[in-house]
Amino acid sequence: MKVAGEAVLHAPVERVWTALRDPAVLVATIPGCERLVTTGPDSYDMTVTAGVASIKGSYTGTVSLAELPEPNTFLMKASGAGGPGTVSADVTVTLVEEGDATRLRYDADAVVGGVIGGVGQRMLAGVAKKLAGEFFAAVDEVLTGARSMAPAPIGEAGTAGMPTVYRDAGPGRLAARTGEPVSFILGAVFGAATALAGVLVGVRVARGGRRLDDA
Amino acid sequence: MGEPVRRVEDRRLLTGNGRYLDDLGADAVEVAVLRSPHAHAKILDIDVTGALEVEGLLAIYTYDDLTGPLADPLPLLIPHPALTHGRTQYPLARDEVNYVGEAVAFVVAENRYLAEDAAERIVVSYEVLPPVVGITAARAAEQLVHPDVPGNVAAHLVQEVGDAAAAIAAAPHRLELDLTVERSASTPLEGRGVLARWDADAQRLRIWTSTQTSTGVRAAVAVKLGLDLGSVEVITPDVGGGFGVKIVHPWPEEVLVPMAARALGRPVKWTEDRREHFISSAHERGQQQHVEVGFDDDGRLLGLSVRFWHDHGAYIPYGLIVPIITSTQLLGPYKPGAYRVEFESLYTNTVIVTPYRGAGRPQGVYAMERTMDAIAGYLGLDRAEVRERNFIQPEEMPYDHGLIFQDGRPLVYDSGDFPASLAKLKKLVGWDDWPAYQAAARAEGRRVGIGLACYVEGTGVGPYEGGHVQVETTGKVKVATGLTSQGQGHQTAFAQIVADELGVPMSDIEVVTGDTRRFPYAVGTFASRAAVMSGSAIALAARAARAKILKVAADALEAEPGDLEIVEGRVRVKGSPGAEISLGTVAVLSNPLRYAFDEASKAATQFVVGHPDQPPVGEDDEPGIEGRDYYSPVGSTFANGMHAVIVETDPDTAEIKILRYCVVHDCGTLINPMIVEGQVHGGVAQGVGGALYERMAYDESGQLQNASFMDFLMPYVSEVPASIEIDHLETPSPLNPLGIKGAGEAGVIPSAAVFAAAISDAEGFAITSMPISPSELFELRAAHAVPGQQEGDRS
Amino acid sequence: MSEAIQPGAVQSEARHRVALTVNGIEHRVAVPARRLLSDCLRHDLGLTGTHVGCEHGVCGACTVLVGGVPMRSCLLLAVSMDGEQITTVEGLAGTGDTAGELSPVQQAFAECHGLQCGFCTPGFLTTITAGLADNPDPTPEQARELIGGNLCRCTGYQNIVAAVLRAAELTRERGAS
Repeated sequence: MKVAGEAVLHAPVERVWTALRDPAVLVATIPGCERLVTTGPDSYDMTVTAGVASIKGSYTGTVSLAELPEPNTFLMKASGAGGPGTVSADVTVTLVEEGDATRLRYDADAVVGGVIGGVGQRMLAGVAKKLAGEFFAAVDEVLTGARSMAPAPIGEAGTAGMPTVYRDAGPGRLAARTGEPVSFILGAVFGAATALAGVLVGVRVARGGRRLDDA
Repeated sequence: MGEPVRRVEDRRLLTGNGRYLDDLGADAVEVAVLRSPHAHAKILDIDVTGALEVEGLLAIYTYDDLTGPLADPLPLLIPHPALTHGRTQYPLARDEVNYVGEAVAFVVAENRYLAEDAAERIVVSYEVLPPVVGITAARAAEQLVHPDVPGNVAAHLVQEVGDAAAAIAAAPHRLELDLTVERSASTPLEGRGVLARWDADAQRLRIWTSTQTSTGVRAAVAVKLGLDLGSVEVITPDVGGGFGVKIVHPWPEEVLVPMAARALGRPVKWTEDRREHFISSAHERGQQQHVEVGFDDDGRLLGLSVRFWHDHGAYIPYGLIVPIITSTQLLGPYKPGAYRVEFESLYTNTVIVTPYRGAGRPQGVYAMERTMDAIAGYLGLDRAEVRERNFIQPEEMPYDHGLIFQDGRPLVYDSGDFPASLAKLKKLVGWDDWPAYQAAARAEGRRVGIGLACYVEGTGVGPYEGGHVQVETTGKVKVATGLTSQGQGHQTAFAQIVADELGVPMSDIEVVTGDTRRFPYAVGTFASRAAVMSGSAIALAARAARAKILKVAADALEAEPGDLEIVEGRVRVKGSPGAEISLGTVAVLSNPLRYAFDEASKAATQFVVGHPDQPPVGEDDEPGIEGRDYYSPVGSTFANGMHAVIVETDPDTAEIKILRYCVVHDCGTLINPMIVEGQVHGGVAQGVGGALYERMAYDESGQLQNASFMDFLMPYVSEVPASIEIDHLETPSPLNPLGIKGAGEAGVIPSAAVFAAAISDAEGFAITSMPISPSELFELRAAHAVPGQQEGDRS
Repeated sequence: MSEAIQPGAVQSEARHRVALTVNGIEHRVAVPARRLLSDCLRHDLGLTGTHVGCEHGVCGACTVLVGGVPMRSCLLLAVSMDGEQITTVEGLAGTGDTAGELSPVQQAFAECHGLQCGFCTPGFLTTITAGLADNPDPTPEQARELIGGNLCRCTGYQNIVAAVLRAAELTRERGAS
């Protein structure tokens, strides 16, 4: 499945990069992100519970990031599972300066398996784009100051060799940064895709309990 | 057999315990199908964003989600060499839509209300294309339905016996007629529906569908979903009427519902609403016809040449069956001299055309019977007399017309006594007294007319049906056949056959139809074939079971099988009361056991029965009492009938009233006269509807304007005759063990013809276009009332 | 009393509590405002004997008795039926001492072959039951009028008219005995 889209973020390219690589920002802006754990350089574990309409659920996955030769272009690889479904996605993200703002383009190639794969391509793509849109709108609010940062740290302070865990403080609040070196974590589509996947894999499935005989 | 036994189905259905499709699957999620609002358009985009907000939405499928065989067009069920440009639709429209109602998206949600909420929020962008509506437009072909089908012609077929053109040219008299019949449809009270359960553990699919062919659906779904046939089960539940429309398979929904069930891991159910049935199931009947006939001074046919144009709708999944039936059954009980029939099957941007009760026969009978009346009128002869002179005589049976019928086999009438049928009808309706009656009525200023129409109906088409009869240790007899039931009383009629063959009370017999788990080899219920095909097969299967019963009982009673009889479920020596054994015990004894599980079964255990020097189960034998057999005839068997109707038309309002309706009907041996009569009543009602009330009103943009019961006028009790007078003739079929011919379509076949004839007789001018409404009759009167016009021909 | 949970219920649609007495038994259901009575009977209460043939009030297959009066359940909203006494086809046969005995109308249909596929039949049965309560001794013409608003595609109506007259006869016979 291919999903592509754009968003305009009201900040220069550098500020956008910084925000997108900040786990405190991400845990608060990714729809339904509950938990983010640094597991190594440029790689993270994440738990997301989100969805659209009746497609809701919890999803656990991993993300890793790599820079690409082109300027301001990154490739993010994500994969995850939950319930009866799996997602793996390669997302190419490009940031382009547009005056004082930044135009972000994402291009995702996702393979969806299990029950989530059964809901139909247009619905999947539609939900992905919807969540991506929510994510960018939230990030934009952070960049323009519409969302404020929480004063008290909620994340556990990291010690050498131990992963830092960031938790969502609640809607609209940001977890405090702990100064952990950050790497670029999340393409918009990953947020959408994993959120989506987590949601979709949690699709309420009435399993068993009914004999095949019963009409 | 032969008794008007009350139906075993009735108690269940009368107490609200029927199990129709929508009564099943209480735990299933439901479907709404988004359908094209345009008759002809390209699909530019399908935007589902708006639907995503609907809570309870589970899936939305479009063509892009169809993979493998599902991405191919649906099957063209009955290929034919003349069908050179066959086109069928995709389960969901791919790039274009060709009729209002074509399925575009498939929406699954927790219930139907929510599914419809989601469906109506999907935005489809279309580029509307000019539609082709109606036969005239299709023939003119200024627009094409399918870009690669020139002239909108799907098929062109000619059948010919002798040189009709020459015979007509050389004949003393010639006539030409142009006739039209408009579309109608089956419109059963229950629409279509499908329920599917996917068992992921066993990798098996179970489907219920309101169909006329469970084996057909099973085969099609297995192919489309890439499953082994053995992994798919199809069960036909109670069906609220079929009348032909439910023989089409697989409907898009019949493959999409199982697909969704497998993809989502939940049972999925779809039932259509009434509007959907009008715009996405099937219609039939529409034809334009041109007849040329040459005849002699006595009204005998010398040559008959018929050309007709058949509206097949946007796609042609059922092939050319309907126009082929028109072509062949047009001949009715007559010898045409030299005969040529040619048709073009045309595409239009309207709902597909597939068989509806009669399946092309009504149109053929219409053409022939209007011609007979025209000949009689031209020569000033009695209309019945002209027909009699052209009949095939009983001693000429079997009669080979030299044509190929809808089963791919020669059109050979096996039996029938047409002169006797006509004599019965004339007596029943008082044909010879008519002129005096009409003259007296006219003197009072009343307009009355009588119409007469004869038909022959090929029934019991192959390839085969099968039957299974099993006697259980309780003495109960379980019977199964693979074809389906939609209210014809099969459970009763087939039980009657078995009751006679086995000597068992009806109450001990249970019949199951249409369940591939119980009987997997079958064709389906259509063409008035069920009694002929399954009735015969079940009779043969019962005879096999009977032979086994007598063999086992003979051993137990120490008698010869030939000395035994079975009465009320007990086997006994003829003329020797006392020594008897119940069927249940015979069943126990037929299955040599090691383990006894109850008192009765002890009688069959190894220390009690058996001969030490013989194997417990003989070499050519099997345990248990079962009979399984198939009936596969060389050709169809031909029923026939003749109807007469007396109508009165109002001189001022042109309203048409039915005064009397008479039917003489020959369907061979009758299994249950009450059921046969019920079939005739129902057919006559549909015939009245088709002749006077029902038509599909398409506008020039291909919109169906009367897609509801408010505007599509099906007959209520007020529209049908107050009574239908029926007389029977029984010329048993020589082709099957019981002598049965089909009765299912009899009531409807001659309707258009007989009403056109009666109204023509009342008005004094020819009616050539059916159906006819009072306002149309009013207009025709005005058109024919031009001064100086010749005294109207009474044809 | 039984509490019926609407299958496939989702949280966002507001639901209204309604009490329906159907065939003598009170049911309490919570249904969205737009839930048709036909769907409520069939799917919330599991009484699938009432059938839906057109959903626009023309065919009559969905006819139930509300306070003894025939009404099209496909045109009624369940919420508007709060407190009503409803009779469906499942409530026509005998109960208690005569449990399982077919009503005169049902019996007449069986005797006269008044049904084939059976789909329209429940609507006829309720309509005729009410009609005969109003007019216990109809003429053939009145019998035809009584069923004039119900569609049947299978039987051609001949045997249904006969069943109306036979039902009247059976009612008299049973009343006499």
